[in-house]
Amino acid sequence: MRPTTVESTAGTFGRNTATTILLVPSLLLLVLFLGLPLVVVFLSSLQPNALLKFTGPALNNYVYLTTTGYYADVVIRTVRLAFVTTVLALPLGYALAYFLRGLSGRAGNLAIMGLTFPILAGPLIVIIGWMALLADGGPLLSPLIKLGLFSRLRLVGTETAVVITLVQFVLPFVVLTLYTSLRQIPDQVLEAASNLGASASQRFWNVTFPLSLHGVLSSTIIAFSLAASSYVSPYYLGGAAQLTLTTLIAQFTTATYNSELAAAAAILLLVLMIALLAVFTAVFRRFIRS
Amino acid sequence: MNRAAAIARGLYIAVIYGFVLLPLVVIVFISVNQASTFPSRFEGLTGKWYQAILDHPEFLIAARTSATVALLAAIIAVVVAFLAGYALVRNKPRHGHVLETALMTPLLVPQIVISLAMLQFANIIGIGTDLAGLVAVHAVHVMPFALRLVLTGLARYNFALEEAALGLGASWWSTWRHVTIPILRPSIVAGFTFCFILSFVNLPISLFLTNPHTATLPIVMFAYMESRIDPMIAAIASVAVIVAALVTLLLEQTLRIRLVD
Repeated sequence: MRPTTVESTAGTFGRNTATTILLVPSLLLLVLFLGLPLVVVFLSSLQPNALLKFTGPALNNYVYLTTTGYYADVVIRTVRLAFVTTVLALPLGYALAYFLRGLSGRAGNLAIMGLTFPILAGPLIVIIGWMALLADGGPLLSPLIKLGLFSRLRLVGTETAVVITLVQFVLPFVVLTLYTSLRQIPDQVLEAASNLGASASQRFWNVTFPLSLHGVLSSTIIAFSLAASSYVSPYYLGGAAQLTLTTLIAQFTTATYNSELAAAAAILLLVLMIALLAVFTAVFRRFIRS
Repeated sequence: MNRAAAIARGLYIAVIYGFVLLPLVVIVFISVNQASTFPSRFEGLTGKWYQAILDHPEFLIAARTSATVALLAAIIAVVVAFLAGYALVRNKPRHGHVLETALMTPLLVPQIVISLAMLQFANIIGIGTDLAGLVAVHAVHVMPFALRLVLTGLARYNFALEEAALGLGASWWSTWRHVTIPILRPSIVAGFTFCFILSFVNLPISLFLTNPHTATLPIVMFAYMESRIDPMIAAIASVAVIVAALVTLLLEQTLRIRLVD
């Protein structure tokens, strides 16, 4: 309990007024350049267009995208890629975050910086490196073929290539989130577990892992949403044969000029992502409680 | 046993770091290699691909556009995020966590969806694809990163210092100028730097929002890469990699910023 507040000494305006004034610019930015535009896109997604004739507003565009075989495949592929990426990146990232946890000051900071480089360089730049690495006759594939492990192997244009690059793209985010979460577990708690006779694996499964579940949830959400919304990886390594919702949105917008279907694909991606993450979060929370 | 475990752990760390950093190393390798196609083996060091950039003024113009957009977006993002973060931590308004979550939503909306939404919105209100719209969406997109860093800084900040300044007769404005902002400078500088770089390298946000006069560097690279991917593009990418590396090192050295905490 604080006896005096700053406002009472300053006496110019009340706490609530000050809070409102300070929050207005950010909320205004959010509403004007994200909220309203999304409403516009939603309304546009309900309208008829060059391909589909109906009297709007109606959900025909959504029905079309989810029931036409070709587009339904795109939707399923988007979810599958995000799911596989998350399932691969989480254990890989958890193990790395767990090992990095023990690093002290300077070494820890350097390790974290190493992980932020790819984030700061940006996905477009990173993907140029991947295209060289995964190309036919590239440094990763030609040794495998020379060794006789594969007679013919092609990665560019396959889902495997997209998954490899997506895992690399989301790993730094996953590790940074889990590292923060693992660092918040006090050393004394772990020492106490050891002193009470817990083996290393008992200590991990009964103390460390349960205490890091919040970080596991956040990093799952981050990994899944980053993978589902990635544009650069599926565009360059999946190509036209492996369209996802993001590359489909671009195709509708810049190639077939169907802004209503582009809008429907965009809202579909957003809603699908949020719905899947909400279900996952609910299941995860129930699982933690039991 | 312990020794073997330590070796296995070191090996694992090396493999994962190798996997995460390999594409960046490859880009730098291609950019200094004589070979004019890639993938290719090492044929000798050269600086000619960097020289080649100078023959393509469109990249330099685009880099300047990107810098302008990133600068304005980062300033806007940091200012509004600082004000919001300050209000959230200092005054703990009712539903504060709801507001905080709301301000983080740009992270959850796919960037290409933001781009499409702004395109359709801009067409309706008639601002088209000018620089203002581009700056606005970039600012919205990077604001959560600034807010995160500001909130981290504010969590360790002692608000009693402001009460002391005010109690001694300082005005609100001079309290902010001489107490609040100097103490929180590391988070503000880090927030600004992150926002600037993330805006500078971003492709999907700008995808539908540029015209030939407002094309950012990633957009011009993207357009160039439609026809071919060559060592010159790798050279441009290398410059970005090196700048990003230097900036991060500099931040760590001079400000002792903890990137995660």
